[in-house]
Amino acid sequence: MGILKRRERVSDEIPTASMADIAFLLLVFFLTTTVFNEEKGLPIVLPEKSEEVEVSAKNLLFMLVQPDGSIIVKRGESEQEQVVTYRQIEGILRQELAGNPNLIAAVKTDPAAAYRHMINVLDEVKKAGAERISLQVLE
Amino acid sequence: MGKIGGFKKKSKASDEIPSSSLADIAFLLLIFFMVTTVFRKEKKRDIDWVEAEATQKIDEKRKNVLHIWVTQDGTIYINDQIVPEGDVAALIRPIYAENRELVVAVRGDDDVPYRLINGITEQLQAAGAVRVTFATRVEKQMARARR
Repeated sequence: MGILKRRERVSDEIPTASMADIAFLLLVFFLTTTVFNEEKGLPIVLPEKSEEVEVSAKNLLFMLVQPDGSIIVKRGESEQEQVVTYRQIEGILRQELAGNPNLIAAVKTDPAAAYRHMINVLDEVKKAGAERISLQVLE
Repeated sequence: MGKIGGFKKKSKASDEIPSSSLADIAFLLLIFFMVTTVFRKEKKRDIDWVEAEATQKIDEKRKNVLHIWVTQDGTIYINDQIVPEGDVAALIRPIYAENRELVVAVRGDDDVPYRLINGITEQLQAAGAVRVTFATRVEKQMARARR
Protein backbone atom coordinates (compact mmCIF):
# COMPACT_ATOMS: atom_id res chain seq x y z
CA MET A 1 0.00 0.00 0.00
CA GLY A 2 2.70 2.39 1.00
CA ILE A 3 4.58 1.89 -2.27
CA LEU A 4 1.44 2.39 -4.35
CA LYS A 5 0.73 5.68 -2.62
CA ARG A 6 4.16 6.99 -3.36
CA ARG A 7 3.81 6.14 -7.05
CA GLU A 8 0.59 8.08 -7.21
CA ARG A 9 2.24 11.15 -5.72
CA VAL A 10 4.93 11.13 -8.43
CA SER A 11 2.38 11.06 -11.26
CA ASP A 12 0.54 14.00 -9.69
CA GLU A 13 3.33 16.38 -10.62
CA ILE A 14 3.08 18.59 -13.68
CA PRO A 15 4.98 16.71 -16.39
CA THR A 16 7.89 19.05 -16.81
CA ALA A 17 9.59 16.65 -19.18
CA SER A 18 7.21 17.59 -21.98
CA MET A 19 7.86 21.31 -21.47
CA ALA A 20 10.99 20.97 -23.53
CA ASP A 21 9.01 19.41 -26.35
CA ILE A 22 6.49 22.21 -26.18
CA ALA A 23 9.20 24.84 -26.24
CA PHE A 24 11.04 23.22 -29.13
CA LEU A 25 7.79 22.81 -30.99
CA LEU A 26 7.16 26.52 -30.59
CA LEU A 27 10.70 27.24 -31.71
CA VAL A 28 10.28 25.14 -34.83
CA PHE A 29 6.82 26.50 -35.50
CA PHE A 30 8.06 30.08 -35.47
CA LEU A 31 11.11 29.18 -37.52
CA THR A 32 9.02 27.63 -40.27
CA THR A 33 6.11 30.03 -40.32
CA THR A 34 8.08 33.26 -40.29
CA VAL A 35 7.46 34.86 -43.62
CA PHE A 36 9.49 37.92 -44.32
CA ASN A 37 7.37 40.44 -46.05
CA GLU A 38 8.02 39.78 -49.67
CA GLU A 39 8.36 42.26 -52.43
CA LYS A 40 5.17 42.83 -54.26
CA GLY A 41 4.62 45.06 -57.19
CA LEU A 42 4.49 45.57 -60.90
CA PRO A 43 7.84 44.58 -62.35
CA ILE A 44 9.12 46.23 -65.46
CA VAL A 45 12.41 46.19 -67.27
CA LEU A 46 13.52 49.57 -68.47
CA PRO A 47 15.21 49.81 -71.83
CA GLU A 48 18.96 50.30 -71.78
CA LYS A 49 20.04 53.80 -72.61
CA SER A 50 21.52 52.77 -75.92
CA GLU A 51 18.74 50.61 -77.22
CA GLU A 52 16.43 53.24 -78.58
CA VAL A 53 14.53 51.82 -81.48
CA GLU A 54 12.29 53.31 -84.08
CA VAL A 55 8.80 51.99 -83.87
CA SER A 56 6.28 52.38 -86.58
CA ALA A 57 3.29 54.39 -85.54
CA LYS A 58 0.79 51.67 -86.24
CA ASN A 59 2.30 49.55 -83.49
CA LEU A 60 1.70 52.18 -80.87
CA LEU A 61 -1.23 52.75 -78.62
CA PHE A 62 -0.86 55.83 -76.50
CA MET A 63 -2.53 56.24 -73.18
CA LEU A 64 -2.20 59.80 -72.08
CA VAL A 65 -2.71 60.22 -68.37
CA GLN A 66 -4.00 63.68 -67.56
CA PRO A 67 -3.32 65.47 -64.25
CA ASP A 68 -6.92 64.88 -63.16
CA GLY A 69 -6.63 61.16 -63.77
CA SER A 70 -8.63 60.98 -66.97
CA ILE A 71 -7.05 59.08 -69.79
CA ILE A 72 -6.93 59.78 -73.48
CA VAL A 73 -6.40 56.81 -75.72
CA LYS A 74 -4.79 57.53 -79.04
CA ARG A 75 -3.79 55.11 -81.72
CA GLY A 76 -0.39 55.81 -83.11
CA GLU A 77 -1.30 56.61 -86.64
CA SER A 78 -4.56 58.44 -86.18
CA GLU A 79 -5.26 61.77 -84.62
CA GLN A 80 -8.48 60.49 -83.19
CA GLU A 81 -8.63 60.74 -79.41
CA GLN A 82 -10.86 58.90 -77.04
CA VAL A 83 -11.35 59.91 -73.43
CA VAL A 84 -11.80 56.89 -71.20
CA THR A 85 -11.68 55.97 -67.54
CA TYR A 86 -8.89 53.63 -66.60
CA ARG A 87 -11.26 50.74 -66.08
CA GLN A 88 -12.01 50.65 -69.80
CA ILE A 89 -8.37 50.33 -70.76
CA GLU A 90 -8.06 46.60 -70.19
CA GLY A 91 -10.88 45.88 -72.64
CA ILE A 92 -9.59 48.28 -75.25
CA LEU A 93 -6.06 46.99 -75.01
CA ARG A 94 -7.12 43.36 -75.19
CA GLN A 95 -9.00 44.11 -78.37
CA GLU A 96 -6.09 45.97 -79.88
CA LEU A 97 -3.63 43.26 -78.87
CA ALA A 98 -5.78 40.60 -80.49
CA GLY A 99 -5.58 42.57 -83.73
CA ASN A 100 -1.90 43.35 -83.44
CA PRO A 101 0.27 41.27 -81.08
CA ASN A 102 3.22 43.58 -81.68
CA LEU A 103 1.40 46.50 -80.19
CA ILE A 104 3.32 48.64 -77.74
CA ALA A 105 1.33 50.08 -74.89
CA ALA A 106 2.77 53.52 -74.38
CA VAL A 107 1.76 55.09 -71.11
CA LYS A 108 2.40 58.81 -71.25
CA THR A 109 1.87 60.47 -67.94
CA ASP A 110 1.62 64.15 -67.25
CA PRO A 111 4.40 65.14 -64.83
CA ALA A 112 1.81 66.72 -62.56
CA ALA A 113 -0.46 63.69 -62.47
CA ALA A 114 -0.53 61.72 -59.23
CA TYR A 115 1.52 58.52 -59.20
CA ARG A 116 -1.58 56.43 -58.53
CA HIS A 117 -3.16 57.45 -61.83
CA MET A 118 -0.15 56.12 -63.66
CA ILE A 119 -0.22 52.90 -61.62
CA ASN A 120 -3.91 52.47 -62.32
CA VAL A 121 -3.18 52.56 -66.01
CA LEU A 122 -0.12 50.35 -65.73
CA ASP A 123 -2.22 47.90 -63.75
CA GLU A 124 -4.75 47.73 -66.56
CA VAL A 125 -2.02 47.34 -69.12
CA LYS A 126 -0.52 44.46 -67.13
CA LYS A 127 -3.91 42.86 -66.71
CA ALA A 128 -4.52 43.04 -70.42
CA GLY A 129 -1.37 40.98 -70.79
CA ALA A 130 0.65 43.50 -72.76
CA GLU A 131 4.28 42.45 -73.04
CA ARG A 132 5.61 45.57 -74.61
CA ILE A 133 5.15 48.55 -72.40
CA SER A 134 6.65 51.97 -72.71
CA LEU A 135 6.63 54.59 -69.98
CA GLN A 136 6.98 58.16 -71.00
CA VAL A 137 6.30 61.66 -69.82
CA LEU A 138 3.63 63.70 -71.45
CA GLU A 139 5.10 66.89 -72.85
CA MET B 1 13.52 -0.54 6.26
CA GLY B 2 10.78 1.35 4.62
CA LYS B 3 12.44 4.63 5.48
CA ILE B 4 15.78 3.55 4.13
CA GLY B 5 14.10 2.41 0.94
CA GLY B 6 12.59 5.88 0.62
CA PHE B 7 16.01 7.50 0.87
CA LYS B 8 17.32 5.15 -1.76
CA LYS B 9 14.60 6.12 -4.17
CA LYS B 10 15.24 9.82 -3.69
CA SER B 11 18.91 9.52 -4.45
CA LYS B 12 18.05 7.55 -7.56
CA ALA B 13 15.81 10.39 -8.77
CA SER B 14 18.64 12.90 -8.57
CA ASP B 15 20.73 10.61 -10.70
CA GLU B 16 18.49 11.21 -13.71
CA ILE B 17 19.32 13.79 -16.31
CA PRO B 18 17.46 16.92 -15.19
CA SER B 19 14.96 17.02 -18.03
CA SER B 20 13.00 19.80 -16.35
CA SER B 21 15.70 22.31 -17.27
CA LEU B 22 15.45 21.35 -20.93
CA ALA B 23 12.38 23.54 -21.21
CA ASP B 24 14.31 26.45 -19.81
CA ILE B 25 17.09 25.84 -22.28
CA ALA B 26 14.64 25.72 -25.16
CA PHE B 27 12.83 28.85 -24.07
CA LEU B 28 16.13 30.57 -23.58
CA LEU B 29 17.08 29.68 -27.14
CA LEU B 30 13.68 30.87 -28.36
CA ILE B 31 14.06 34.19 -26.61
CA PHE B 32 17.68 34.54 -27.64
CA PHE B 33 16.81 34.16 -31.31
CA MET B 34 13.80 36.42 -30.99
CA VAL B 35 15.86 39.17 -29.43
CA THR B 36 18.93 38.91 -31.60
CA THR B 37 17.19 38.57 -34.95
CA VAL B 38 17.88 41.80 -36.74
CA PHE B 39 16.13 42.23 -40.00
CA ARG B 40 18.40 44.04 -42.37
CA LYS B 41 15.93 46.67 -43.13
CA GLU B 42 15.58 50.36 -43.34
CA LYS B 43 12.98 52.29 -41.50
CA LYS B 44 9.54 52.03 -42.92
CA ARG B 45 8.32 55.25 -44.34
CA ASP B 46 4.74 56.21 -43.88
CA ILE B 47 3.27 56.17 -47.35
CA ASP B 48 -0.11 55.52 -48.87
CA TRP B 49 0.55 52.52 -51.06
CA VAL B 50 -0.59 52.46 -54.60
CA GLU B 51 -2.86 49.56 -55.32
CA ALA B 52 -2.99 47.34 -58.36
CA GLU B 53 -4.92 44.21 -59.16
CA ALA B 54 -2.08 42.88 -61.26
CA THR B 55 0.29 42.98 -58.28
CA GLN B 56 2.63 40.04 -58.37
CA LYS B 57 5.20 38.63 -56.04
CA ILE B 58 8.74 39.53 -56.85
CA ASP B 59 10.72 36.38 -56.31
CA GLU B 60 14.05 37.91 -55.57
CA LYS B 61 16.57 37.50 -52.80
CA ARG B 62 16.36 40.19 -50.21
CA LYS B 63 19.90 41.29 -50.75
CA ASN B 64 19.16 41.96 -54.39
CA VAL B 65 16.33 44.32 -53.67
CA LEU B 66 16.86 48.00 -53.07
CA HIS B 67 14.02 50.19 -51.97
CA ILE B 68 13.54 53.74 -53.05
CA TRP B 69 10.95 55.43 -50.93
CA VAL B 70 9.13 58.48 -52.13
CA THR B 71 7.04 59.98 -49.38
CA GLN B 72 4.02 62.17 -49.78
CA ASP B 73 6.02 65.38 -49.46
CA GLY B 74 8.23 64.22 -52.31
CA THR B 75 11.27 63.30 -50.25
CA ILE B 76 13.31 60.42 -51.66
CA TYR B 77 14.87 57.98 -49.24
CA ILE B 78 17.42 55.35 -50.13
CA ASN B 79 18.82 53.26 -47.27
CA ASP B 80 17.37 55.70 -44.75
CA GLN B 81 19.13 58.61 -46.35
CA ILE B 82 17.41 61.57 -47.88
CA VAL B 83 18.53 61.77 -51.47
CA PRO B 84 18.13 64.90 -53.57
CA GLU B 85 16.09 64.32 -56.70
CA GLY B 86 19.06 64.57 -59.01
CA ASP B 87 21.47 62.36 -57.06
CA VAL B 88 19.70 59.04 -57.46
CA ALA B 89 21.82 57.87 -60.38
CA ALA B 90 25.06 58.74 -58.60
CA LEU B 91 23.96 56.75 -55.57
CA ILE B 92 22.67 53.74 -57.47
CA ARG B 93 25.65 53.36 -59.77
CA PRO B 94 28.11 51.96 -57.16
CA ILE B 95 25.39 49.74 -55.69
CA TYR B 96 24.58 48.36 -59.11
CA ALA B 97 28.26 47.88 -59.91
CA GLU B 98 28.56 45.72 -56.81
CA ASN B 99 25.47 43.69 -57.52
CA ARG B 100 24.39 43.20 -61.10
CA GLU B 101 21.28 41.36 -60.05
CA LEU B 102 19.89 44.44 -58.40
CA VAL B 103 16.16 45.01 -58.53
CA VAL B 104 15.04 48.45 -57.55
CA ALA B 105 11.66 48.65 -55.90
CA VAL B 106 10.12 52.07 -56.10
CA ARG B 107 7.85 52.56 -53.14
CA GLY B 108 6.04 55.73 -53.92
CA ASP B 109 3.17 57.42 -52.16
CA ASP B 110 0.06 57.37 -54.30
CA ASP B 111 -0.16 61.15 -54.33
CA VAL B 112 3.31 62.17 -55.48
CA PRO B 113 3.46 63.79 -58.87
CA TYR B 114 4.64 61.47 -61.62
CA ARG B 115 7.48 63.86 -62.35
CA LEU B 116 9.37 62.45 -59.36
CA ILE B 117 8.83 58.83 -60.30
CA ASN B 118 9.85 59.50 -63.86
CA GLY B 119 12.95 61.29 -62.62
CA ILE B 120 13.88 58.20 -60.65
CA THR B 121 13.28 55.72 -63.46
CA GLU B 122 15.25 57.85 -65.89
CA GLN B 123 18.17 57.97 -63.51
CA LEU B 124 17.97 54.25 -62.88
CA GLN B 125 18.14 53.78 -66.61
CA ALA B 126 21.18 56.02 -66.76
CA ALA B 127 22.79 54.02 -63.96
CA GLY B 128 22.05 50.80 -65.79
CA ALA B 129 19.74 49.36 -63.14
CA VAL B 130 16.96 48.48 -65.52
CA ARG B 131 15.11 45.94 -63.42
CA VAL B 132 12.54 48.01 -61.66
CA THR B 133 9.45 47.23 -59.65
CA PHE B 134 6.71 49.62 -58.82
CA ALA B 135 5.84 48.38 -55.37
CA THR B 136 2.11 48.07 -54.97
CA ARG B 137 -0.40 46.53 -52.66
CA VAL B 138 -2.89 44.01 -53.88
CA GLU B 139 -6.13 45.64 -54.80
CA LYS B 140 -9.23 43.68 -54.00
CA GLN B 141 -11.96 43.56 -56.57
CA MET B 142 -14.42 44.52 -53.85
CA ALA B 143 -12.51 47.63 -52.90
CA ARG B 144 -12.59 48.76 -56.44
CA ALA B 145 -16.29 48.14 -56.84
CA ARG B 146 -16.97 50.39 -53.88
CA ARG B 147 -15.07 53.28 -55.33
